[in-house]
Amino acid sequence: MVRFEIKKIFSRTGNKIALLLLAALLSLTCFLTIGSVEYVDEQGESASGIGATRRLREDKNQWAGEITEGVLLKVLQKNAEINASEEYLSKDVQENNKAYAKKQGFSDIRDMLNHAFTPFREYDYYRVDSLTAEEIAKFYEQRVIVLTDWLNSDEAKDRYSEEEKNFIITKYRELQTPLYYEYADGWQAFAEYAPTIIMLTVLLLAFPIAGIFANEFQCRAESIFFSTRLGRNKAVLSKIYAGIWIITGIYWTVILLYSVVVLGILGTDGAECAIQTGLGGWKSFYNITYLQEYFLIVGGGYLGSLFILTLVMFLSARTHSTALPVTVPFILLFIPSFLSNLPVLSEALGILPDQLLQMGQTVCMFNLYQVGKTVFGAVPIIMILYPVLSCALLPLLYHIYSKTEIK
Amino acid sequence: MELKLDDLTKKFGSFTAVDHISLTMTNGVYGLLGINGAGKTTLMRMLCTLLRPTEGNIYCNGSDIFEMDGEYRRLLGYLPQEFGFYPEFTVHDYLLYIATLKGIRPAVARKRVRELISQVGLTNAAGKKMKKLSGGMKRRAGIAQAMLNDPKILILDEPTAGLDPNERIRFRNLISELSEERLILLSTHIVSDVEYIANEIWLMGEGTILHRGSLEEIIASIPENVWECSVKKDQIAAIMRNYKISNMKTEPEGATLRIISRDRPAESAKRTEASLEDVFLYYFGENAKSEAEEID
Ligand SMILES: Nc1ncnc2c1ncn2[C@@H]1O[C@H](COP(=O)(O)OP(=O)(O)OP(=O)(O)O)[C@@H](O)[C@H]1O
Ligand SMILES: [Mg+2]
Repeated sequence: MVRFEIKKIFSRTGNKIALLLLAALLSLTCFLTIGSVEYVDEQGESASGIGATRRLREDKNQWAGEITEGVLLKVLQKNAEINASEEYLSKDVQENNKAYAKKQGFSDIRDMLNHAFTPFREYDYYRVDSLTAEEIAKFYEQRVIVLTDWLNSDEAKDRYSEEEKNFIITKYRELQTPLYYEYADGWQAFAEYAPTIIMLTVLLLAFPIAGIFANEFQCRAESIFFSTRLGRNKAVLSKIYAGIWIITGIYWTVILLYSVVVLGILGTDGAECAIQTGLGGWKSFYNITYLQEYFLIVGGGYLGSLFILTLVMFLSARTHSTALPVTVPFILLFIPSFLSNLPVLSEALGILPDQLLQMGQTVCMFNLYQVGKTVFGAVPIIMILYPVLSCALLPLLYHIYSKTEIK
Repeated sequence: MELKLDDLTKKFGSFTAVDHISLTMTNGVYGLLGINGAGKTTLMRMLCTLLRPTEGNIYCNGSDIFEMDGEYRRLLGYLPQEFGFYPEFTVHDYLLYIATLKGIRPAVARKRVRELISQVGLTNAAGKKMKKLSGGMKRRAGIAQAMLNDPKILILDEPTAGLDPNERIRFRNLISELSEERLILLSTHIVSDVEYIANEIWLMGEGTILHRGSLEEIIASIPENVWECSVKKDQIAAIMRNYKISNMKTEPEGATLRIISRDRPAESAKRTEASLEDVFLYYFGENAKSEAEEID
């Protein structure tokens, strides 16, 4: 029966188009992701693609290893050398690019230094240029100092409770140092673009998924459906199974293809590096590796998709149409970004389902929730909350649909 | 098989579509005759567990059908008045799917589908997509789906609507064939549909069953006579104003009228046998007129 339901859904032209569109958008996203990793060669020319990636990887992996004081001093020295070179001082942009090309190998470490020595909410690309050897010695302490300064600043003072402040500081201190560094652009690019493809998958899947329950009404087949022996019990279950099958099958197909293409081309080096070794993850208080972040992204994406699309099923079973249900993912995914300027909502916005679809960003956010004296980050909360809500929706969905009256 | 309607009522807001009906049905063909809006579809939907009654109950062999749930629907075949199919399914796939919904095992279902496709004369269209079928073919597919589980209770809501006269006769014969060992309730506003095949006719109006009985009993139930007479053109208007006219055949000089009246409407009028059509007209008055004309 599940097979029939799936066949019924994908026999419709509109749903076939949605799948084709998804395939096209998947290719496009792969293309953009891979193109986002750029390499500047000795001539100062930027390039991306397989060859460029390989060279970037070689350059960066010359710096692979633990980031000790010795390594940092070497970065400082190398940086100063290049800053003194003709290319760097030239007024010609092309020449400057040549200088940059030489810095590429340690650009990630350079970024970390910039972060460590500028105030929390700022970023100064040239901060490294004025760092001294004494300062460098405090590199890892700086991370905590900068954070503490910010937590005591006017901006953040009242935003977090003492428990919450302690929670973040403790997490920062728990980070294992010295950090191990390696080229990890594959994971970083994946984390940056995965939300795009995950969101597109949810938006497009909403159409077939809403159709599972609404189609009976759109085809005016509901009278016969509900007057059959299993029409109000097993057949409803079959529809739910079909929905879960479609969500699961298509989500994982898309994510697997995307992972294989992106990581296959950009490389899986750096899987065991902490996410704090990159520009984006430096401030995160989640002490995880890129590999763990990957699992959070794909797992969170799945749980989020499952929740949003279960909601779509529920609404289509309730309204007997697809019109409203297919707009719900749009609302859930795009409205939060419009509301993000409203500070009153920031607590609530941190645990909306869109956060699950962009775990790479979520782990870099400072959303904290306190129950009594215990503090939680948003990640464990949403990883539990939405599966629970999905499970709660399913019996309701079953109930509503199996009690349908034909008026 | 026994279906018992006990004080069955359905209200939509303050409007009563089915009004306190109590009846018992056993095997045989019941013809539900009524004008548009009489409540036929509403009554049938309740019998198919698609609508819950506002008041009253329906019992199948003594058990409430809503409590029997799937067990009741296992006995049921339903052809709705207005319905659609999954447009991209072939006739064959469609019937297999409905068979699955009816809980028929796959091997049995395949055999049943093959038999029914040939019984309703769709053998040549079995591989066609539902959206490519003509109206008559769709209705036949509809009858086939209703019959898949060999239902003991068959509910057909205006099954002949949209069929051409040949198809209608074929269909009547099909129903007669099927009527053994079954309870069939069929609704229509086409009088001739039920005239021949129904064992019992129900006249339904404004949510209630006004009269029920065999064809003869129903015909005998009107307290007036039926007359036929030829009149001149200038007399037509006056007669139409004063009498119920069940039929009018226009002729060069005037018209031949069929008049329902207790007394002789004109000198030349001759009494004739009443037909079911006359009865329909008698009970449903002016409203029924357009229905009656549809039959010609
Ligand atoms: N869902 C509903 N809400 C409100 N009123 C309804 C609803 N369904 C039916 N009705 C009303 O109930 C009355 C009976 O409708 P029903 O469809 O049962 O009539 P019917 O005898 O089947 O008519 P027809 O010959 O046109 O099919 C009509 O007046 C109709 O407007
Ligand atoms: Mg009707």
